[in-house]
Amino acid sequence: MDVTIILDSLPSLLKATLMTICLAGISIIIALIIGFFTAIIRIVKVSILNGIATTYVSIIRGTPLLVQIFVIYYGLPQIGIALDPISSGVMALSLNAGAYLSESFRASILAVDNGQMEASLSMGMTYSQALKRIILPQSLRIAIPTLSNSFIVLIKDTSLVSVITVTELLQMSSLIIAKTFEPLTIYLIAAAIYWVLITFFTTLLDKLEVRTSKYLVR
Amino acid sequence: MSIIQINNLKKSFGLNEVLKGIDLTIAKSEVVVIMGPSGSGKSTLLRCLNFLEEPSDGIIRIGEFQVDIDGKLDRRRKKEIRELRKITGFVFQSFNLFPHKTAIENVMEGPIIIHGTKLDEARNIAQDLLIKVGLGDRCNHYPAQLSGGQQQRVAIARSLALNPVVMLYDEPTSALDPELVKEVLQVIKDLAKEGMTMVIVTHEMNFAKEVADRVIFMDNGVIVEQGTSDEIFLKPKEARTRQFLSIVE
Repeated sequence: MDVTIILDSLPSLLKATLMTICLAGISIIIALIIGFFTAIIRIVKVSILNGIATTYVSIIRGTPLLVQIFVIYYGLPQIGIALDPISSGVMALSLNAGAYLSESFRASILAVDNGQMEASLSMGMTYSQALKRIILPQSLRIAIPTLSNSFIVLIKDTSLVSVITVTELLQMSSLIIAKTFEPLTIYLIAAAIYWVLITFFTTLLDKLEVRTSKYLVR
Repeated sequence: MSIIQINNLKKSFGLNEVLKGIDLTIAKSEVVVIMGPSGSGKSTLLRCLNFLEEPSDGIIRIGEFQVDIDGKLDRRRKKEIRELRKITGFVFQSFNLFPHKTAIENVMEGPIIIHGTKLDEARNIAQDLLIKVGLGDRCNHYPAQLSGGQQQRVAIARSLALNPVVMLYDEPTSALDPELVKEVLQVIKDLAKEGMTMVIVTHEMNFAKEVADRVIFMDNGVIVEQGTSDEIFLKPKEARTRQFLSIVE
């Protein structure tokens, strides 16, 4: 093993890591929005939208992410929707994570004791006031551990986008290996970078969970 | 004029008819205690008054707001129900305080959201009410940091914050340790002295004797008999009432 190979490849790997972070970051934000509204639609049972939301979650959860990426990148151009690799990747990752996040949100909203809704309604609040002020703040705290799980999966799933030529961390590793013939070293470095990213993120969310749970401390 | 008027109130859960046509009129400042075995429909009756259960049939009037049950659950009807809820305070067996808000925030929530009261004014209202229920020094505690009795007193203060014309209590002390029951009952007694109209579902016989203007005994979805606490506890007319009292006492 040659140390200079590591030093030489590090700048490119870190640059690619930035791409991975961007992919994950943008996708998480979009997925949170999709997941939140899908959950609300399914909880409140907004007539037609409820059917669409349920079908969406079912399709996404019932098919492999890799297939979803291929459909979006290679399939959609056939009906005139041609997206560049990065946009395709972000779209696939957001739609995928959004479906899983919506299930987390939904479960956490349903996990709030029914007495909370009854107490709010009996005061004369509307359903949406009760949801906004009383139910959602409590459900977000409940949701954090499962959200954290989905985030971990999403960060790892960004590696799948390498198959449609997005130069993120895994794709860059493969490119470097093609030149240096050092698969063990380079892939281990890539693995280490993923591990650091994910550990940083989960620590952050653990802290958030402690903070949002402070009202439960006796 | 009476504060509450209920005509022919019916409620079924599927095929199971829990309330079989209740007629009840409650006067201003009256304290009514409802007793009966479990499954008699007493909690359902109370919950129907606040539409926490959707009644199957009948008419409910509280204050000036009347809801006919046979109408559809449309927008106008939902608004009627909301108006009716705004003027009734409901106290739950399990308190149902908002755990993510402090005691004072729990009490402020109603005035701010329902009445649109300004923050400072709501805080003053809430503080006065917490002092009134003996918790002036617990304003900034979260529910998890309070005992059951204290939580229930905050819950009563939260209901009072909306200036209700009537307070409804659904077994307010059933979830409490025996030594905490007294402090909650004391708050309710104080309210009775102030002339608050109250309907209380409870198993606390001595409390009923002390505070009730009228005791209603329910069984099997109907009012079996009603009268002053002496009439019901000392010389009950119905065999079913005597049987229940002999078991409870």
